Amino acid sequence: MIDSKQATDALADINDTVRRVRQSQIYQVSSLVMLMWGVLVFAGNISSWLWPRYGLSFWIGVYVLATAGLFAINAYNYARSRIRTFDRRYLLTFLFIVAFGIFCCVFGQFTPRQQTTFWPVYIMLFYMLAGVWFGTAFIVIGASIIALTLIGYVYIPGMPFLLWMAVVNGGGLFVGGLWMRRS
Amino acid sequence: MAELDDIIHQPLRLKIMAALNALPAAAGLEFARLKKLTGATDGNLGAHIETLAKAGYVSVDKAFVGKKPQTTVTATATGRGAFARHVATLQEIIAGKQG
Repeated sequence: MIDSKQATDALADINDTVRRVRQSQIYQVSSLVMLMWGVLVFAGNISSWLWPRYGLSFWIGVYVLATAGLFAINAYNYARSRIRTFDRRYLLTFLFIVAFGIFCCVFGQFTPRQQTTFWPVYIMLFYMLAGVWFGTAFIVIGASIIALTLIGYVYIPGMPFLLWMAVVNGGGLFVGGLWMRRS
Repeated sequence: MAELDDIIHQPLRLKIMAALNALPAAAGLEFARLKKLTGATDGNLGAHIETLAKAGYVSVDKAFVGKKPQTTVTATATGRGAFARHVATLQEIIAGKQG
């Protein structure tokens, strides 16, 4: 029989392992979501740079594709591990976040350049909030993208700002997703 | 009086069971992820999984994903029950009911 200290150590080991498993699961799914968003955001910015007149249509398309992609990732993950990752509650949360973002853009009367800056900063804020609960990788990725976005907003005038955003936002999410897969 | 489960109590096997029990009932972990989570070596992890499998606490499924072999380890209902009893015993010891 073991003593109370050994039992406490064993329970601490169990709790630590459970915490690591949960974080690993969150990272696995989030990395797939980030890779998808990275590609879509890159494509959205490049398309808006090439055909600025259709910018709004491209971004609506990005959000529709992203929603479909989230359900596809859920189906893939469920087939692989029997764990559901995206359901109606997550869809509703996602819609609330987007709706409030649209509300800010409309009532704030943002210019297209300000909107290009606002959306990544706004979404990355949620990444950083997630990081407080689920793991520091979210905070690092969110803070890096926000900082690079603001640097571009201040120092890169005109349309090249969209190229900058394709690289730092799209590329940042993609690289962040790859990094999270390895964490 | 509840007894500690000797098979589960070994430190690495305890981590393996804790990791598998953190998942929903039918979900398993791939060998590579289990190795990363427990910090064990291939050989060590394989040997302890075999011990748990012989006791009926885990099931091991081997499949090919593309051309790569993939081993998935899942806690059985027996294993989940044994782990729950083991944790309860640890909690009893801490509460001073035993030991």
